[in-house]
Amino acid sequence: MTKPKNAQVIAPEAYPQLMSRADAARAMLTLHSPQTTARADAVMQAAVRPLRAAILHYVDEMEAAGADMGLVFEKVHEIRGFAETAGLVTTGRVAEILARYMDDMARIAKPLDTAIVALHVSAIARAARAEGEDEKMGEAVAAELATLVARRLGDAEGR
Amino acid sequence: MTASGFESLKALIVEDNGHMRALLRALLNTINIKDIVEATHGQAAIETLRERRSDLVLTDLAMKPMDGLEFTRHVRNDPRSPNPFVPIIMITGHTEKHHVEQARDAGVTEFLAKPITANHLFSRISEIVDRPRAFVRCDSYFGPDRRRRMMDGYAGPWRRKEDLQDMDVR
Repeated sequence: MTKPKNAQVIAPEAYPQLMSRADAARAMLTLHSPQTTARADAVMQAAVRPLRAAILHYVDEMEAAGADMGLVFEKVHEIRGFAETAGLVTTGRVAEILARYMDDMARIAKPLDTAIVALHVSAIARAARAEGEDEKMGEAVAAELATLVARRLGDAEGR
Repeated sequence: MTASGFESLKALIVEDNGHMRALLRALLNTINIKDIVEATHGQAAIETLRERRSDLVLTDLAMKPMDGLEFTRHVRNDPRSPNPFVPIIMITGHTEKHHVEQARDAGVTEFLAKPITANHLFSRISEIVDRPRAFVRCDSYFGPDRRRRMMDGYAGPWRRKEDLQDMDVR
């Protein structure tokens, strides 16, 4: 086998770079400096409260979406994107399981099991609204839901 | 104040969620990237790119009416694209393998899974600054080299489907 026909490799030196080498050296120091880490930590910490409020809003919308699975997926996707940043680890885990299930079923063009979706929606809502989340309970529920989804997905794929 | 190396950069954030835009802007500010514009979908981002230079793009995947994949393909391949080489970091919760492959094949430079952390974002920026990727142009693709390590004199095997279509097999 030889290189694909017409393939042209353009080296980094041959196209405009993001910054000069001197700036790149300074930039790397900036990215790894303790001051940057401290500022970034403060940003992430400041995001927790507004993101928790946003997640609760998405949870309300997810529940109100009812049988509109497209809208449920949209809200679940937002929740999984933010939950961990907001310190809602269990909420994020359950949302991740549901989002993957919905995505996988769409990929193999199989209908969603609405009971599975409803179970997850309920678990996400309970976890998000529980101040501080009950971690042990949350982990157990997330693990059970993951097993259930894996089994149903296996059935749908004919495994 | 000591120069950060980033102060002259102009960034573009393409994201339909206001909370994520605010978080990304605040994180970029911590490394002294202050010149930032925002767009809420791919079509608006294309217009922004035509009006204003952008050195770094952070984009979401799922947006309407134009998503991050179509936006990336446009930036890389449209003859009117102002900078087909601009580094694009795709930030998304769609972390399933097929989405990651679609992003790679559209020509994104780096992929970052949500939930984001500052550390992960900075590590992607660090890759772009410290280890800029070669670009590849062939019949079916233009974008950053999809192999992460370059080996001098590498002559195959070529494994991707689209490579096989163009391949001169002897």
